[in-house]
Amino acid sequence: MSTPSKTDKAIQDLLRRAAPPRAEFEDLVIVPIFAVVAALILGAFTMLATNVELATIGQSYIALLKGSVGSLNAISETLTAAAPLILAGLGLALGFRAGLFNIGAEGQILMGGIAAVITGFSLPGLPFVLLLPLCLLSGALVGALYAGIAGWLRAATGAHEVISTIMLNLISYRLLDYLLRQPFIQREGRADPISKSVPDNAELPRLLDWLDPNLRVHAGIFLALAAVLVVYWILYRSKIGFEFRASGASPDAARFAGMRSGLIIVAAMATAGALAGLAGANQVLGVLDRATPGFSAGIGFDAIAVALLGRSHPFGVLLAGLLFGALEAGGRQMQVDAGVSIDLIGIIQALIIVFIAAPLLVRAIFPWGFRKPADVRKE
Amino acid sequence: MNVELRGITKSFGPVIANSDVTLDIRAGEVLGLLGENGAGKSTLMNVLCGLYQPNAGEIRIDGRPVTFNGPGAAIEAGIGMVHQHFMLVPVFTVAENVVLGVEPVGKLDFLDLKKASDQVRAIKDQYGLEVDPDALIETLPVGVQQRVEIIKVLFRSAQVLILDEPTAVLTPQEVEEFFQIIKALRDAGKALVFITHKLNEILQIADRISVLRQGRITGSGDPKTMTTKDLAEMMVGRPVSFDVTKQPFAPGKDLLKIENLTVLHENSEIAVNQINFSVRSGEIIGIAGVQGNGQTALVEALAGLRHITSGTVTYQDHDITHSSARARHRMGIAHIPEDRQRTGIIPSFTVAENMVLDTYYDTRFSSRGQIKWDIVNEAAARGAVEFDVRTPSVFSAAGHLSGGNQQKLVVARELSRDTEMLLAAQPTRGLDVGSIEYIHERLIHARDEGDGVLIVSSELDEILALSDRILVMFKGNIIAEFENGDGQADKNEVGLAMAGAAP
Amino acid sequence: MHIIARSSRIVALGTAILFSSAFAATAFTACQITDTGGIDDNSFNQTAWKGVQDAMEQLGIEGRFLESQAETDYEANINSLLGGQCDIIITVGFLLGDATQTAANANPDQKFSIVDFAYDPEIPNILGQVYATDEAAFLAGYLAAGMTKTGTLGVFGGINIPPVTIFMDGFHRGAAYYNAQKDTSVIVLGWNPDTREGLFTNNFDSLDDGRAYAQNLYDEGADIILPVAGPVGLGSAALADELGTEQLKIIGVDADLYFTDPAKKHVYLTSVTKRMDATVFDVIKNTMDGAFKGGVLVGSLSNGGVDLASFHDMEALVPEDLKAELAAIRQGIIDGTIKVDGN
Repeated sequence: MSTPSKTDKAIQDLLRRAAPPRAEFEDLVIVPIFAVVAALILGAFTMLATNVELATIGQSYIALLKGSVGSLNAISETLTAAAPLILAGLGLALGFRAGLFNIGAEGQILMGGIAAVITGFSLPGLPFVLLLPLCLLSGALVGALYAGIAGWLRAATGAHEVISTIMLNLISYRLLDYLLRQPFIQREGRADPISKSVPDNAELPRLLDWLDPNLRVHAGIFLALAAVLVVYWILYRSKIGFEFRASGASPDAARFAGMRSGLIIVAAMATAGALAGLAGANQVLGVLDRATPGFSAGIGFDAIAVALLGRSHPFGVLLAGLLFGALEAGGRQMQVDAGVSIDLIGIIQALIIVFIAAPLLVRAIFPWGFRKPADVRKE
Repeated sequence: MNVELRGITKSFGPVIANSDVTLDIRAGEVLGLLGENGAGKSTLMNVLCGLYQPNAGEIRIDGRPVTFNGPGAAIEAGIGMVHQHFMLVPVFTVAENVVLGVEPVGKLDFLDLKKASDQVRAIKDQYGLEVDPDALIETLPVGVQQRVEIIKVLFRSAQVLILDEPTAVLTPQEVEEFFQIIKALRDAGKALVFITHKLNEILQIADRISVLRQGRITGSGDPKTMTTKDLAEMMVGRPVSFDVTKQPFAPGKDLLKIENLTVLHENSEIAVNQINFSVRSGEIIGIAGVQGNGQTALVEALAGLRHITSGTVTYQDHDITHSSARARHRMGIAHIPEDRQRTGIIPSFTVAENMVLDTYYDTRFSSRGQIKWDIVNEAAARGAVEFDVRTPSVFSAAGHLSGGNQQKLVVARELSRDTEMLLAAQPTRGLDVGSIEYIHERLIHARDEGDGVLIVSSELDEILALSDRILVMFKGNIIAEFENGDGQADKNEVGLAMAGAAP
Repeated sequence: MHIIARSSRIVALGTAILFSSAFAATAFTACQITDTGGIDDNSFNQTAWKGVQDAMEQLGIEGRFLESQAETDYEANINSLLGGQCDIIITVGFLLGDATQTAANANPDQKFSIVDFAYDPEIPNILGQVYATDEAAFLAGYLAAGMTKTGTLGVFGGINIPPVTIFMDGFHRGAAYYNAQKDTSVIVLGWNPDTREGLFTNNFDSLDDGRAYAQNLYDEGADIILPVAGPVGLGSAALADELGTEQLKIIGVDADLYFTDPAKKHVYLTSVTKRMDATVFDVIKNTMDGAFKGGVLVGSLSNGGVDLASFHDMEALVPEDLKAELAAIRQGIIDGTIKVDGN
């Protein structure tokens, strides 16, 4: 073997991966942790301000912990709540990476969910191995088509996706209302908008019901985990993902590099919609086994926070989704054990987002967690 | 007013930006401060303006040591800075911008804009700074906006004016006018610091020159006795060659043929008006012209990024008038865009990602929808070494590189594949001498290998040094053509044509 | 205002829990789960909770509630109260029917009671509480028909579900009975008992909708309106407050809104009360006594489960003759001589 030439050595040097810079670590790990801490502290002050006693506040945070990870049931609830948030959050994160601020996950969830329900009860004879994938697929497909409308409007007419997705959300509420009253969808004998139930072989199987029938965690969490890997692959390994990220980071540079922005916008919106549609299918096939007007339960909006908290990175979204799932499950326990209102959980969630969105604020509150800015500044 | 900097040292953590810098700034004199990007010029001036506190050394004004606790204190002391990027409110008038923060007020705290306007007029007349105090900033050309910045500083009674890369945004004519203003200010007894990396300009305007390299003063002297060669060597740290050596001019057949090309601006005005020319293989065509005469639209149209209204573009006997940018890429047309930060690279992407920004789809780099990152990274590292892109790693963000290295990255990307036609728009704008030299070499290398090259530049010297043929664009038309295969074109004639005087 | 109201409640509850848990861990515990209207809806969630509170005061039990923010919470909320910590779980609202059934089947030893829902066939560990509100609404319809100046009445609902439409049926038929008795032609806008279609806001929380729907009915001539949509009706009351009670009067539902909406108490002609507090209290008491039995408990005029509230400030406006007729009809319904189901 010959000794490597000088050029080869230079190439090898360039291929060495430096440890991630401290600033990045601070941004991705320390800021979110402190944001949660700051939100919990401020949440405590909020409770104090509403005359909740100190002991009750302590009790409620213990309940928050207990209700989110303190028992098998708690973990089951956390995962159940996290799965749709992760799925929809991944879709939004992918959109953000592509420079699209998609507010329409809520509508995409509703459309995907109702599609999954209709597929489910229309084909009750199919075996589980066929019917469940078919239901999930129809949810993803309809979600993708619904989001694709906004993508197409943006690409073809320049209509901003924030406006069009908000409008599509409003349309989806009414459309769902209408659909739920159609005789072939509405449950027999009911006058209110509620769909027929999906057959058992279309349901996402519960994972732990053999231990305790009340454990709700279902196969949707695996769906979410798989989606994390798929989205990671799309964004960081695939050609189309490279195009998504390029158009998101610099639409002009992407255009100059010969990428077709219109196609990319539609593709990114459709992918985001497919994931939101899956989140909807996850809810109706895993939790509710039917559709009603409010089944999206604001997941599409919480998912925006999840995507932002997760810094639009698939693994970040996974962690943020689990955190929000934990807050939801733990929040329930706060109500049960300490009698603290569920609204407070909403306040804490909102505070976390505020702090994440304002990293400078977090740095100012917890200066000892970060290096001094002067040391970082270079000419 | 005289200002002395004595032994100024400023470091940021382990990075030493200025080391033991000593400078004299004297009334009635223009001090030229020369240095490449990153040499520490801006840090030094920010110390002088009170933005940074030096770690060691002192500043003396007329012999008395002073300490500035912030920019306010420096302004108070009579030191004013004109930044490279203007800090003006576009929807305010000139007078409003000038008095912003120190507004003259009349009775009951009313803003006295009439008085402001008069004060601006007085300054304007005193120094010959031609500008309408009541014009809106957004309606003014860049050169005039710069005058407003200078008036702003003068309005605050500055005796020392620091001008940071003031000519970077100006056209050749505007530079000439600007130099008149500098001379007027100097003659009025102001002390001026002219920061630049352009050798010709500093020799033309400065009374004294100091050169900064890697944070230290590496030389100073009298411009009358110095040459660009001396300065370049002090600045770069090694001898720099300005003579580009080319193979004898031996053009081949037509590669790119442009016939009756018309292209519109976004606002539907004509940007390029029925022009005809062709680029042969082994030939560099230089498009000379003051910025804003249709060059940008021309290059974008040729690169497939702008709709061609009428006319045809033929490349190697294929009609590519309406081909997409991607299709042209694939046929071997490379494009170095003029705005490297906005369209050339994606700053938040890694060097490796930027290196394949327009070739990632190639079968070399991807298969079945997946990008082969190992191969991409390896190729990027190879390209970075070959094209002298100085980066700690191919995984560093491209935005962290210096302008010169970013541009070399773009050049590496465009030239490290099989190309036959190169479109280069402002390929060396804002770069340091070392990078300019390197990029020129590469462009000539491409031509010597038999590629056709089209260069658009507003630097006339660059056009003259590189081109085999020079076309002058004025208001969307090609109004003159000069043969320059042996460097025979006359600079004055080309310059006149740029100003619209057809020979 | 919503938040403030809520916070003060949290305080009250927090102390209640601390207080009670300080006593005996073995005390009887009743747990309530609300629907998405929340515990302070001025309507059935709140009224049912009042039954629990009454039991806390009078029977010394421990009471807890859990609010649902979304439909997906129902099952989870029920689950989080399982495990023996509640002696009885009271779910409030028709929409919790499915979730309650699922939980009851999975946990046969847990006692449940649900407000506004009855199962057919009966489930042994659920006691459904339903209300013959059409009896009281029939009286309200008769009253309104006797009081209207324009000859037009209005009604609208939250969602087209039986616990809502039963009010509308009764109201409509009460007015029709008045027409039959007096040979008048008072009309009721907003509900057709035959086609089962009418005016619905499709939610139980938008005060804006309550205002807009009432405005529409008023524009069509209605001068007395019965909003059957929980807190949505508060929006209608706000409109009546602005227009003046000469122009528009409101009939409350569920609770006596004269007391639960004191700021607008003057706009209420009366309220069709559904005494969920009474039935919830009874259910708790029976369960404590070991007399819990699955099935259906019907609240009616005869057992006080439903009623027409007093006229309060409008007492003087209601003619004595009309009052006497109402008393007679009331007796007739209890006796079974007057049918309210339209047959």
